[in-house]
Amino acid sequence: MNKIKITRQSKKKKSFVWIFFAGVIACIILIILGDKAISYTSTDEYCMSCHVHPHAEQSWKLSTHYNNSSGVKTHCIECHLAPKGKGYLLTKVKHGIKDIYGYWFKDSADFNWEAKKLPENAKKIVYEESCLECHTNLFPVTLSEDGGNAHLFYTLNKESLQCINCHIDVGHFDKNIKHAKDTTFGVIKTETAIVYTEPAKVEKFENFTEHIPGTEVSFNMIAVPGGKYNMGSPDDEPLREDDEGPVREVTVSPFWIGEVEVTWDEYLAFFQATSSQGRTEGQIVTTKKVDAVTGPTPPWGAPDQGWGKGSRPAITMTWYAANVYCKWLSQKTGKYYRLPTEAEWEYACRGGSSTPYFFEGNPKKFSSEGFVKKIFKPDTAVIASYVIYKENSNYRTAEPSAVKPNPFGIKNMSGNVAEFCSDYYSADAYKNDTVSINPRGPLEGKERVIRGGSFKSDAKDVRSAARDFTKTDIWLMTDPQMPKSIWWYSDCIDVGFRVVCEPDSLVLSKK
Amino acid sequence: MKNFDRRKFIKKAAAASIGLAGAGAIMTGCGRKKIAEPAGLPPILNGAPPGKKLRAGLVGAGGRGTGAAINFISAGPDLEIIALADVFQDKIDACRERFASFGLPIPAENCFVGFDAYKKLMAIDEIDVVLLATPPKFRPEHFLEAVTRTKHVFMEKPVAVDSTGIRSILTTAKKAEAIGINVVTGTQRRHQEDYIETYKQVAAGAIGRITSAKAYWNQDHVWFRLREPGWNDMEYMIRNWNNFCWLSGDHILDTHVHNIDVVNWFTGKHPESAIGYGGRHRRVTGDQYDFFSIDFNYGNGLSSHSMCRQIDGCANGTGEIVVGTEGYTNCQNIIWDLDGNIKWKFEYPRDENNNPTNSLKIPAYVQEHMHLVWAIRTGNYVNEAEQTAISTLTAIMGRTAAYTGRMITWDEILKSDMNLGPSKIEFGPVDMKFEVPIPGLPVQI
Repeated sequence: MNKIKITRQSKKKKSFVWIFFAGVIACIILIILGDKAISYTSTDEYCMSCHVHPHAEQSWKLSTHYNNSSGVKTHCIECHLAPKGKGYLLTKVKHGIKDIYGYWFKDSADFNWEAKKLPENAKKIVYEESCLECHTNLFPVTLSEDGGNAHLFYTLNKESLQCINCHIDVGHFDKNIKHAKDTTFGVIKTETAIVYTEPAKVEKFENFTEHIPGTEVSFNMIAVPGGKYNMGSPDDEPLREDDEGPVREVTVSPFWIGEVEVTWDEYLAFFQATSSQGRTEGQIVTTKKVDAVTGPTPPWGAPDQGWGKGSRPAITMTWYAANVYCKWLSQKTGKYYRLPTEAEWEYACRGGSSTPYFFEGNPKKFSSEGFVKKIFKPDTAVIASYVIYKENSNYRTAEPSAVKPNPFGIKNMSGNVAEFCSDYYSADAYKNDTVSINPRGPLEGKERVIRGGSFKSDAKDVRSAARDFTKTDIWLMTDPQMPKSIWWYSDCIDVGFRVVCEPDSLVLSKK
Repeated sequence: MKNFDRRKFIKKAAAASIGLAGAGAIMTGCGRKKIAEPAGLPPILNGAPPGKKLRAGLVGAGGRGTGAAINFISAGPDLEIIALADVFQDKIDACRERFASFGLPIPAENCFVGFDAYKKLMAIDEIDVVLLATPPKFRPEHFLEAVTRTKHVFMEKPVAVDSTGIRSILTTAKKAEAIGINVVTGTQRRHQEDYIETYKQVAAGAIGRITSAKAYWNQDHVWFRLREPGWNDMEYMIRNWNNFCWLSGDHILDTHVHNIDVVNWFTGKHPESAIGYGGRHRRVTGDQYDFFSIDFNYGNGLSSHSMCRQIDGCANGTGEIVVGTEGYTNCQNIIWDLDGNIKWKFEYPRDENNNPTNSLKIPAYVQEHMHLVWAIRTGNYVNEAEQTAISTLTAIMGRTAAYTGRMITWDEILKSDMNLGPSKIEFGPVDMKFEVPIPGLPVQI
C-alpha cells in the first residue's frame, strides 16, 4: 500500500513538474516575444510607419538631436516616452492606445500641427525625465553666461519650467522658434519707398490716415463719436464670467482708434528708430525730453514666430513697450496717442450693439468647448467672417484683409490678437468703480486689462464684454536674462495692441 | 599624473555630492528645513595628508593674498607657490621677496602683471591650485577662468560685490561640481573646531528651536590711502579698494559677511528679505558707509539683527549670538540656558605645561587650506562656493536695503541686474560718479 501511494504521488509530482516547466518555457517565450515586440514597436522606422506627419522626420534630421558633431542619434522614443524604469511601459501603452485610436478613427488631414507645436501642447508628448536621463550635467564648463542664468533659474523653478520651454527646437528643428537673442530682428530694411516728411494734418473730427514722418509707414484712424452705452454683460448672457458685471452705463468722449491692430510695419518703424542694444540703458523712458525716447532691446527668438510681418499685427511686445510706442508716436506726429481705456475699447468694439457680439449669434452655438462640441463641430460661418479665433486661425495671426469690419468700420476688435488697455485689471472693477464718464479703472494694481481674445481663443472669449489680463510672470517664464526683459514677452505670442488718438477741443469744435 | 588624479575626483564627486546637499539645498529650497544631522562639516586636521605635489598660483599678491599663500604652504607637505599675478609690480615684488626670505623662490617668468595677469597664470599647465585674493569685484571672472582651466580653487570671501557677480559664482560653482574641481572659501569660521563643535551641539537641539539671532562687527576705522601724485583714477581706486563699493562691496560684505555667514549656517537658511539703515559720518575717502544696521527676516518670525561699524571710539566687538527656545549660544564655544547658566563649553587644548588656553592648535586660516589639500589628495570632494555666494548675497541684500531705504527681497536681489563698477576695467581716467547713497526721497516742499 505504502509503495503504491508513493508512486502515485511521485507520478502526480512528475506531471506537476512538467506543467510547471511548460509554463516556465511558455513564459520565457512570451517574455522574449513580448520584449521583441516592444523593441520592434519602439524603433524609429516603426514610429514613422504610421505617423502621418511627413515633416517630423525631416525636421528631426535637421535638429541637434540628429545633426550634431558627435554623431549621436536620439531616437523617437528617447524623447516621446518616459525613460526605461521610470514609466516607460506605462507611457508606451498610453500613447499606443491613443495612436491606434487616432489611426483608425481620425482623419490625419484634420490634425492641427501648428497648435501641437506650441510649448503647452508639446509638453504632453515630451518627457522631462527623458531629457534629464541623458542631459545629466546642466552646467557644463562651456555654458555661456546667459545659459548659466537660465539654468540657474530652471533649478529654482522646476515645478513651472520644463526643458522644452526653452529648448523647443532641439528635437524637431524650426528656424522660427529658435530660443536665442535675435539681434538682426527688424534691423534690416528690405525696401525703399516714399518716406513721409510730415505727419497727417487733421482739422476735423473724421477718419484720417496718419503718416509717420521719417518712414514709409501710414495707417488709418477711425473717428468714433462719443456716447453713452451699457458696459459689461448682463447676467443672462451665455458663457459670461462674473468679472464682466454688473452692467453700468458709461459715457465716453469722442476719440480716434486704429482701424487695425498696430502692424509689424508700424511697430518696426519704432523699433528701428529707438532700439537699444544694451538692456540697462533702455530702462527709463524720459518724459521731459521729447527727443529721447529709448526703445526696445533685441527680442528673444523671432517675435513674429516666422508668420511674416508687414500688415500682420505686431505681437509679443510688453505692455510697457506698447506704451513707449504710443509716446514715441505722439512725439513723431505731434498728436496725443495712447492705449485705449477699457471703456473706450468696449465702446469701439460694440459699435452700437448690446448683444454678445457686434454681429448676430449665440456664444453657446459658436463655442467648441465641452465634450459634445468635440464631436459635433460648431457652426462657424457667421463668426468666422468677422473674427480670427481658435476655429479658423490655424493658430496664428491673420492679415486684416481676412475679416469684415464692425459697424464703426474697425477690424479685428474681437480675435486675432488680444489688445492691451491702459486700465489695471481687477475682477471687481465694475462693482467698485463709481466713475461713469470716461472711467479709467482701478488706481493701482499689478496686471493690465487685455481685451478681445485672440487666434487662440474660444468663441466664448471673443465676446465684446469678455475681459482678460496680462500675466507678466508666466509670459516671461523662459526669458533667461536677469532681470527679465521689459520690452518683449518670451512666452506669450497672442497679445498686441491698438492705438487711440485723443482729439483736441479745436478739432472737435469744427464739425 | 594630474589628469589621472582628476579623473578619480570626478567619480568621487558623485558620492561627495551627498555631503554637498547641505549646501546645495539652500538653492533648491529644501534648505528651509533645519539641518537635523550635521552633514558635510569640514574635517579638523592636524595637517594635510601627504600626496602628490601640489603647485599653486596666487592671484592678488597683496597683504591677504600673500598671507593666504603662506597659509597654503603651511598646510602640509609638498605644497608650493610657483606663480604670482597682480595688477601692480610692487605687490609682486614684495610677495616674491617674502617667499625668497623663506628660501622658496618664485621664478620671475611665472610672475604676471596687469588686469589679464590671472589668465596668463592660469594658462600654466603644472598649476593644480589657484588662490584668489584680489578685491572681490574681480572674483567671478577669476573663478570662472580657474574652473574652465580645471584648477582647484581657494578663494577669499566675499566672492562678489553685486548680483551679476553672485549669479556668475553660483553657475561656476555648479560647473566646478560637475567636473570635480574642489573649492574652499575664506569663511574661516566654518573651519574652526570650536565653531564646528558648537554647531553640532545646536544641530543636536542644545538651544531648542532657533528664534532670533544677532551678528555684529563693530570696530575702529580701517585702512585707507590718500591719492598720490601720478596715480590715475583706476590706480588710486584699486590701491584704496577697501573704500570703494564697486571694488570691496562696502564693509558689510568685506568683513561682516563672516558673521552673516555664521547666522545662515546655524539657522540653515538665508533670509527672505531685509530692511536696514546705514550712513557715513567719519570716513575720509571713497563712497562707502561707515555703519549699517540691518534686520534680516528669515521668515516665520525669525529675525537676525546685523550691525557693523567702522568708527573710532565707539563700543566695539565682533561675534554672533543665536537664541533658541531652550538656550542661546555665541556660536563659538559656549551654550547657555535661558537663565544664563553655562550648559556646555568647548574645551580648548592645553599648552605644554598643561595650562588651559583660549585658542586652537591650528589657526583656522591654515585649517581651511588643509581641508582643500585633504579634499584634493583623498578625493573627499569639497565645494564651498555656493554657500559663500549665498552669504555674500545676503550681505548685498542688506547693503542695498540700507542704501535705498527700501525692503529688499531675496528674489529681487538674486535676479537684479546690479553690476557695479566701470564697464571697462583699464588703467587711466574713470568716468564714474562716487556719490554716497542717500536712502528714500527728499521732503517735497
